[in-house]
Amino acid sequence: MVKQVIPETLKEALKLMQQEDYILVSGGTDLMVQNYSESGIVPDFKRPVMYLANLEELKQLKVEKDEIIIGAEVTLETIRQSSIIPDILKEIISEMASPGIRNLGTLSGNIGNASPAGDSLVGLYLLDAIVELESMTGKRLIPIEDYITGPRKTVRHSDEMIVAVRIPTREPECHHYRKVGPRRANAISKLSFGGVFSHENSMIIDVRMAFGAMAPVVIRDKSFEKSLIGLSKAGIKAKKKAIIDHYRMLLAPIDDQRSTAVYRKKTALALLAEFIDLITD
Amino acid sequence: MAEIEFILNHQKIVSETDPSLRLLDYLRNTLAMSGTKEGCGEGECGACSVLLDGKVVNSCMVPMANVAGHEVTTIEGFRETKRYKILEQAFVQCGAVQCGFCTPGMIIASESLLRQNPHPSESEIREALSGNLCRCTGYNMIVDAVKKASEDGDGLW
Amino acid sequence: MSDINKTIERVDAREKISGIAKYVDDLKMEGEIYAKTIRATIAKGKITDISVPPLPEGYATVGVKDIPGKNFVKIIFDDQPVFTESEVTYFGEPIMLLVGPDKAVLRKIANEIRIAYKEEKPNLEWDDPMISYHFSKGDGDQPFQTASKTFSDVYITGYQEQAYLETQGLIGYPEGNRIVITGSMQCPYYIKNALINCLGCKDDMVRVIQQTVGGAFGGKEEFPSLMACQLAVAVYKMKKPVRLIYDRKEDMPVTTKRHPSRIRLEAAINKKNEITAIRAAVGLDGGANAGLSGVVLQRAMIASSGAYTFPNMDVTGRVYRTNTVPNGAFRGFGAPQMLFSIEMFIGHVAKFLGLDPFEFRMKYLAKQGDKTSTSGTFRDPIIMPELIGKAMKESDYLRKAQIYSAGNGYQGIGMSFFLHGCGFTGSGEATHIKARVRLEKDENDNVRILIAAVDMGQGIRTTMRKLVASILEIPMEKVIFDLPDTDFVPDSGPTVASRTMMIVGGLVDRCARKLKEKWLANEKQILEENFQQPEYVKWDEEKLAGDAYPAYSWGVNIVEVEIDKATCQVKPIGIWSEYDLGHAIDEMVIKGQCDGGIAQGVAYGYLEVMEQKDGRLRQKNLTDYIIPTAVDMPPTMSGVIDNPFALGPYGAKGAGELTLVGGAPAIAKAIEMAIKRNVTEIPVTPEKIRELIDNGRN
Repeated sequence: MVKQVIPETLKEALKLMQQEDYILVSGGTDLMVQNYSESGIVPDFKRPVMYLANLEELKQLKVEKDEIIIGAEVTLETIRQSSIIPDILKEIISEMASPGIRNLGTLSGNIGNASPAGDSLVGLYLLDAIVELESMTGKRLIPIEDYITGPRKTVRHSDEMIVAVRIPTREPECHHYRKVGPRRANAISKLSFGGVFSHENSMIIDVRMAFGAMAPVVIRDKSFEKSLIGLSKAGIKAKKKAIIDHYRMLLAPIDDQRSTAVYRKKTALALLAEFIDLITD
Repeated sequence: MAEIEFILNHQKIVSETDPSLRLLDYLRNTLAMSGTKEGCGEGECGACSVLLDGKVVNSCMVPMANVAGHEVTTIEGFRETKRYKILEQAFVQCGAVQCGFCTPGMIIASESLLRQNPHPSESEIREALSGNLCRCTGYNMIVDAVKKASEDGDGLW
Repeated sequence: MSDINKTIERVDAREKISGIAKYVDDLKMEGEIYAKTIRATIAKGKITDISVPPLPEGYATVGVKDIPGKNFVKIIFDDQPVFTESEVTYFGEPIMLLVGPDKAVLRKIANEIRIAYKEEKPNLEWDDPMISYHFSKGDGDQPFQTASKTFSDVYITGYQEQAYLETQGLIGYPEGNRIVITGSMQCPYYIKNALINCLGCKDDMVRVIQQTVGGAFGGKEEFPSLMACQLAVAVYKMKKPVRLIYDRKEDMPVTTKRHPSRIRLEAAINKKNEITAIRAAVGLDGGANAGLSGVVLQRAMIASSGAYTFPNMDVTGRVYRTNTVPNGAFRGFGAPQMLFSIEMFIGHVAKFLGLDPFEFRMKYLAKQGDKTSTSGTFRDPIIMPELIGKAMKESDYLRKAQIYSAGNGYQGIGMSFFLHGCGFTGSGEATHIKARVRLEKDENDNVRILIAAVDMGQGIRTTMRKLVASILEIPMEKVIFDLPDTDFVPDSGPTVASRTMMIVGGLVDRCARKLKEKWLANEKQILEENFQQPEYVKWDEEKLAGDAYPAYSWGVNIVEVEIDKATCQVKPIGIWSEYDLGHAIDEMVIKGQCDGGIAQGVAYGYLEVMEQKDGRLRQKNLTDYIIPTAVDMPPTMSGVIDNPFALGPYGAKGAGELTLVGGAPAIAKAIEMAIKRNVTEIPVTPEKIRELIDNGRN
């Protein structure tokens, strides 16, 4: 029987984490299923477990200067219903899982799980989210694209805990999100696409595109996006084929029990084309 | 083992239990309350739905540690209320029950919806029930029942 | 007296809604222990060694050596072992049970059991037929010799999983020196007979009791007999109550599925562009053993003419043995596979000939008096034209079909015509089942219905009581229908084949009418009724010729879809159906069957994907096996048109399967119209649609 702890404060938790490498459980929506053994038997955790869902200190949801701070234990449903959250993230959460799971799940859990098919991650990559880690020795702020290094792999040290996710308050002018799942609700994505843009004086001042469930991590090409800044709508339209060709080279999805590489790739590029049409219309 | 204190169907419970034990197992095995069902063990089917602080959750995913300090309502508790009676009558009248295995979960999910949105549209009802699978009814009669309950129970939610 | 059709409250609704109704896993027995199934981890080979660690007190293995009777599950063939002794024929095949009082301990011991195999390459090709049938009608395939043109294609259908919300589960316990099996099942007497064979005991040494069943759809027709035998041997050995209840992740990979099929259809066409003959070659993947596959094949073959009449037919069928999980009963039982094929085929023939598919299909629609595929006769009125007209009107079919066919908007509307033979195929009722029902009246004039029919959600606890109350003209409260217990109910046959209301209800109806005639107030009375084959139903089991069924129900399904151009995802936006099921015993019960059946049938056509790889199923849980949610289902309208069947109670015919069998071709046709490509394979997933658009045939 593994050790299980339910710390009452963040400090208590961080102190404990200096002694052991705990499995950190927030809502339990991933870990309770991944470690499920059989009905009637306690889940089969392989390492000591720490339960965090009751840490009140990690439940803040507020704006501080030019950042939205989402505490690690705020549930997805609470985030979805909040007026301070960017629309694209709300939209992404609305299409995730089911009400029963959204009432338990957290962004910190999604990030920690680092699933290639994690829908909220697409939103976080698009919004340039920053992961706030804390340990007894201090804090680290790590951009999401540096935080996740592969499926289930993050740069978190065993004595660190995600305490919050920070998102810049700058809301894009327009967003477009498409989740492609096997059915219209309560499903794991085959692939997803998220895009945001803003324009001023007929010029694109901001354009960001991200693909989910197409690779071990979310795909976003920031330097390519930069190259599109300053173009007019007509300019983007003229470059439509080049943009699609660029991502055609970048995207290399796989076959699995949910879908095929061919379908994923063709569909992802079709959604990209759809987004470009949206920008240029 | 840990001491977990919480409220179950309006009654305070202090229980010495494994903090990783699924709430579903605690209800069905420790307390022999069989109204909440197990259909898949992985949060997909919603047969295990209970209310946690008034909101629908899949009890197969909730460790007892996360129940501490919260309020759990199961079908056994909810069925004592006026709102349940309205839902029950609507489910009966609309033919929303066939094999019945998904039904307690549907009732719980409906209550969770109506508490937040007393007069939901059809698409809002479908969305709210999207985590509760039914294989017998094709859902339409269940959706009709929730609509009817929201109308008949006007003022209760 | 108002029409019996008028809806009443389902008698078990409130107990289910409130969570009070008990399903097998809700029961607890004093001193009970758990059983865990130890399964093969290869798809084909021989077991060379089994090593079990030393077992603590109270724990034991239960295997072949413990079987007092015969080591096979009595169903039709004797090729399914209760426990496999040495030969492994599919991944997950049960080898033994491990029993004991603590599940966690059982799990730990199971992980320490070592089984050594001599592994062989599994056969996954369809080249080892275990069952073969053939029949012909008229001149068979002779017209092909003089045909002016021919057209052929191959149609493919995939697995379908029943996905009942309540998983498989049984509890066994000793009662004196008898053994009782109780739990989730469709056929108490199938189980009882299997137990007698396996335990080698007398009829009165076993008892089977149904508990509330959380859905079945055929998945609990024959599979529970295997579990029951294993469980009974465990009870026999341990002399304690034993629970054998599957978690979903165990249930899905090892229980029976709908047979995947490959059906080749050919049409011989004359100079006048008329179909003069149809040749059908039906292939089903039976999995590792035969089970009910022979009957599934028969039903599929018999359905080869669909809702049509063709003058000459040659139909062959094979069930292939592969090293995969044995396939079995699922609502429709061979008909969905065939009806998809023939419905798509006749449309493709019309296109090939440059003719309007609707006109073409209407031309071949079966009429009263026509000869069936097996040279029987459609004796009763066929109201397909009325069903078609009504469904088309309600859905605005013609206008939409015109716009969608001409446009490029990726929208489509599809219509399927179909039938379903009611009752057991051929002479099964008379020669195998020999159904019997009993009514018992007590001194207080309460009437007990004693039949083995199981309510698995289709509402017979309500409709049977309603039937009897209506005939006897007594209140519902005076009619009792308890969950079937083989100690008290005669064998009225299995709850399958859409036979329950028509056949069993028909017997109950006759019995009730006799009781009414002979009614003696405040006196105990017992009446029985036995099945009599209507003498006009003549069937030759050797030649597969004659009247395969005593009656047929008919239907039309229309499905409208929108397809997303970028993602190729299909969105059903409307479903309309009209059915002839004789007469509805309860309006709302029938509506429930209509809604639920078409949800399964349509999803079979576009949504539900189950694949096999190296002998193992890839989709093993409800996360990966996709069934519709409430968001996926569009507005669904259904209606029935009365066409009472003389031999059915109040004119009722079979309804349970009819509402599923036409869904797949309806949505497949809608998709064809939307993407302007021929569809020959289901499920029509977005991946397939993408491929068809890029590479498919117009």
